[in-house]
Amino acid sequence: MNAKTALPEIGVDAETQRRVEQFLYREARLLDNERWDDWLALMAEDIHYWMPTMENRRRADKNGTYAVDRGALYNDNLVDLTRRVTRFKQPTAWAEDPATRHAHVVAGIEVYQGEAPGEFIVHSTFVNYRSRVEKDNDLLVGRREDVLRADGDGFRLARRKIIITQSVLMAKNLNTFL
Amino acid sequence: MCTTQGATPIRLKRRPIAQSIENLDQLMNLEKGRMSRDLFWDRDIYEQELERIFARCWLFVAHESQIPKAGDYVSTYMGEDNVLIVRQKDGSVKGFLNTCPHRGNKVCFADLGNARQFVCNYHGWAFGIDGGLKGMAASETYEAAGIDKSEHGLHPVAQIDSYRGLIFATLDPDAPSLAEYLGDMRYYLDAIFDMDEGGTEFIGGCVKSVIQCNWKYASENFVGDILHALWTHDSGAKAMVGGPVAEVHKTPEQSYHVNFNGHGWEFNQDIVGNCATLGEKELLKYLYVLQPKVAERLGDLRSKMIGAISSCTLFPNTSFLPGQNTFRTWHPRGPGQIELHTWTFVNKNAPQEIKDKWRKGTMMTFSPSGVFEMDDGENWEYSTRSNAGFVTRQQDLYLGLGHDTRVEDTDLPGNVFQGQINEANQRAFYQRWLDLMKSESWKNVPQRDVPKMKEGV
Repeated sequence: MNAKTALPEIGVDAETQRRVEQFLYREARLLDNERWDDWLALMAEDIHYWMPTMENRRRADKNGTYAVDRGALYNDNLVDLTRRVTRFKQPTAWAEDPATRHAHVVAGIEVYQGEAPGEFIVHSTFVNYRSRVEKDNDLLVGRREDVLRADGDGFRLARRKIIITQSVLMAKNLNTFL
Repeated sequence: MCTTQGATPIRLKRRPIAQSIENLDQLMNLEKGRMSRDLFWDRDIYEQELERIFARCWLFVAHESQIPKAGDYVSTYMGEDNVLIVRQKDGSVKGFLNTCPHRGNKVCFADLGNARQFVCNYHGWAFGIDGGLKGMAASETYEAAGIDKSEHGLHPVAQIDSYRGLIFATLDPDAPSLAEYLGDMRYYLDAIFDMDEGGTEFIGGCVKSVIQCNWKYASENFVGDILHALWTHDSGAKAMVGGPVAEVHKTPEQSYHVNFNGHGWEFNQDIVGNCATLGEKELLKYLYVLQPKVAERLGDLRSKMIGAISSCTLFPNTSFLPGQNTFRTWHPRGPGQIELHTWTFVNKNAPQEIKDKWRKGTMMTFSPSGVFEMDDGENWEYSTRSNAGFVTRQQDLYLGLGHDTRVEDTDLPGNVFQGQINEANQRAFYQRWLDLMKSESWKNVPQRDVPKMKEGV
């Protein structure tokens, strides 16, 4: 399921590990609370935010389960992400009113040195549970591979790859970020 | 190119046609624009739909471009029947039920790929790409039992054919030809699938999702309901282009509803209206440069449809949006659920960067994460689910817009109605649904629409 990881996994010091974990936990809280603009502010200018769709192919099929030029639920730059946030903020975004209740659970955070100085490769797993109105409950579980870039005292998200387990999205929409 | 398979496949057995549900006529009074909610809820109606709509109509199964080479296949659905659509060595296309004739297991678990054969995991029955049974594990035991392998191939679809790259199949050997089934709708299909001499292709794979709604809510939306966009999609339009949806109800003189055999297309002549919602200027430029060439190829009217505010459903459950270039099939999964498969189509001869922008554009607008589709799903789910209420279900629904808008003196093919804010296509869709549901075989289906196009065109 995982694409090639070209870089050797060189660990980081405990303080960097702690700060990265704190960044991801805070990001999850911003999304739970629909603080869309604060969340956008975590993105690097050159963000590639990517969530491909999964194809069931035989193991021998060299095309693989997903690829960057195939189906995706997100394959976004900063303009695209900003457009999505713009919709969330409209009073006419009917499928957001009453509000969806979100829980973004992040675990299994591993931090390694990235390709460029000040960059980190961060692996994590997530559980996302959304509840709307009376009984609309949607569960997504998956794994992320991020590139975080040091920015002052904090980080910016420069790249995110989100791999979910479902090939058929078992929901009418995806009205959150993961 | 596709070829029609043998008209009467061997072993095609059908159980006797189920007793039709009585009083189906009472489900709708289309003259008065009234219809029953039972269509969207009743389990018996759904079961009859599987037989009389989905096991009978020509259904979209693949685009030619998805299976270019011999052995290329896609797995898809005709109603709830899982089928494999496979390119043959001679370039033709065949379709089979994805089930082993031995004990019934699926023979292919992949969504797509290239195969030299399909081998069942259960007892190793192996089928060629032509569906024929070639052998199996411990074959001598079957030979001892006197098996005739030629009688145990994969069950073929009854007919398969294509139009402008779109491959359709039917499970009914008595179905009319695809050309007759599509009828005059082919004239309009050319505006999208033959606007450019290279034709179209599907790119970027298939995005699949589940919506808890009746399949007809989705089909009727695309068959003629542009009106909802003004209200439902206000937030999406503001996100993508910074302003509200165009008020097409104010200019009915430049737009139409057209329908034929239950297929329907609502369209404006603004050339790029749908495409504009993708927020990509390069795509608008591409269409504007192309438009005069399309006018030479197909005439003025159709050249103005290539990316215009418009939508189409091919009866029963395949829909697309010109300009946004999303193509989708709403597979029924019980009266209250659909599985939505979507693709992106582009002109094959378009530059790669234009194709890439369309691939992103469909994702941003009409995919489960898209800023437009996001609000559709919830509407359809609750239009369906509210009918759980016994008394709620007794309340009629309204479908009466656009009475007296029929355009009689026109050369345009199909049934033509003035103004895309209309429910003429939806009424025609449900009339066709009713005709099929009431008819015991294709022979009994009334031919209401008189084609202007010749069948072979």
